[in-house]
Amino acid sequence: MSPILAISGLSKQFGGVTALAGVDLTIEEGEILGVVGPNGSGKTTLFNVVTGVHRPSGGTVLFRGHDITGLKPHAISRAGIGYTFQQAMAFAGLGVLENVRIAGEHVGTGGTANPWPTPQALLDFVGLSAVTNEKAGVLPFGSLRLLGLALALATRPSLLLLDEPAAGLNDRETTALVGLVRQLPGHGISVCVIDHDMKLMQMLCRRLAVLDFGSKIADGPTETVLADPKVLEVYLGGDL
Amino acid sequence: MKDGLHQDRAGSTFKALRSLLPVLVILALIALVPLFSPSNRFLSLAISAGINVIALYGLSVLFGQTGILSMGHAALVGVGAYAAAILARDFGVGFWAALPAAALASAAFAMIVGIPSLRVGGHHFVIMTFAFGQLLAIVLTNGGDYTGAATGLDLAGPVTLFGADMSDLTRYYLMVVAFVTAAAVASWAIINSSYGRTLRAIRENEKLAASLGINVGRHKIGAFVVSGVFAGISGVLLAYFLGHISPSQFSSFPSIYLALMVMIGGARLIEGPLAGGILVAFLPEVLNLDPVQSRIVYGVCLIAVIMLLPDGLIGGIVRALRAVLSGKPKQETEQRNAAEARR
Repeated sequence: MSPILAISGLSKQFGGVTALAGVDLTIEEGEILGVVGPNGSGKTTLFNVVTGVHRPSGGTVLFRGHDITGLKPHAISRAGIGYTFQQAMAFAGLGVLENVRIAGEHVGTGGTANPWPTPQALLDFVGLSAVTNEKAGVLPFGSLRLLGLALALATRPSLLLLDEPAAGLNDRETTALVGLVRQLPGHGISVCVIDHDMKLMQMLCRRLAVLDFGSKIADGPTETVLADPKVLEVYLGGDL
Repeated sequence: MKDGLHQDRAGSTFKALRSLLPVLVILALIALVPLFSPSNRFLSLAISAGINVIALYGLSVLFGQTGILSMGHAALVGVGAYAAAILARDFGVGFWAALPAAALASAAFAMIVGIPSLRVGGHHFVIMTFAFGQLLAIVLTNGGDYTGAATGLDLAGPVTLFGADMSDLTRYYLMVVAFVTAAAVASWAIINSSYGRTLRAIRENEKLAASLGINVGRHKIGAFVVSGVFAGISGVLLAYFLGHISPSQFSSFPSIYLALMVMIGGARLIEGPLAGGILVAFLPEVLNLDPVQSRIVYGVCLIAVIMLLPDGLIGGIVRALRAVLSGKPKQETEQRNAAEARR
């Protein structure tokens, strides 16, 4: 089967600093891939280049066989790639229902069949149906994260990129989020999670890719990667 | 499930209609004013206020919904006014035909200004619009006979509606009230549409809006163009009302006044532009202030509104009423939320 996303030779320089040094990475249809690495390893740059926030200095990104390299953020979304940010989760000044409505009103040609036909159904799925009429800004942090996930899902993606989706969540909220994300491949949505939280990654991903200094140093089944001495060396400082 | 959704739709449409009702009632009352044989001075003042309110409804779409502040809105009104005057002089185009033409001219001007200006964000855009406003005044002043230079242009055409001469003050007043109503309804329709939601998404968070497939740049320019349509129509009404227009009416100072009016009234509420336009027009009259004093009062008002009533005067009154009716101050929760939002 051909991969849903194929990144090849992707590089990004900021002035003289190399943030990404020719990364090759594929995401297979129906999998949950984890991308890990220490701070400054290029995880967020990879996310930003793929989602169009930054233009790559070189390399290509193919999404379902189509070249999407350098497209603007809104065009990436319309092509069928949903993504969530660490910081910007929801429109704080607007109602929860209005938030989801907005997210579902700009679905592009890449949008897939919708497992959640109404905003209400989507809010049910993420477990926020009780706060439908609230202003998003009054929600507790954990609920905001879930709303952020609902917004990304409302764009009907076939690939979802999550940048540190569990940052700031407590154990119970993290477990709930993991439960939701695990269901996504069953709804036809492939997932790529970018995070440095190893516990989360072990819960979510069968396959891991590890970045260090802008290069991929390991890629394979989670257990194999976590046993790789190279990974232990750079990621965990050598002692585990 | 389907029924629930239906009810929800009907419920939200009802809620939306209810938000329009107060404005329609107030405008209906305003339309009854001529029954009390007001003075000509009152009518003139009210017509000027109404013409401003039409432009303010455009500004509320731009500032209230999209979160973009323009300090050059009077320039867009000026483009409409000059378009009407030049079309009448050179092509014998009358009032009604001038309306769509001027709206188009102002919209086109907004697009020309907006495309380079909206590439820069926030405060820079404010300065750009300010500069374009001044630039337009300079161009009009140096336009020779074509723009009438500093003296401006005369416009003597009659305004007729179904054969009736509308130039009479009372009739022009009623016509302006009708235009204000149309502007309020148009602005209400925008606020309650999917387009309005898109603009609010951009106001709340551009980065998140883009991630959901919204072409932020294009919609920001679009909102500026929409505000230009309102301004253009306002300009035609102004030119035909005054019979004479000059560059200084459309420079930066009048633009600042328009921004002030929409902020005092409350840019996000459908009542806001109406309240702001009327208040700023009649305040000096009621308090018997000279122009210098009234500028001081406006300045103090603006500072007070920005610091104490972020959703304008009407928003503040509504909030106060709600607090009194529910018996507990809502401010505490809202302040906590605002603090959280900042975080």
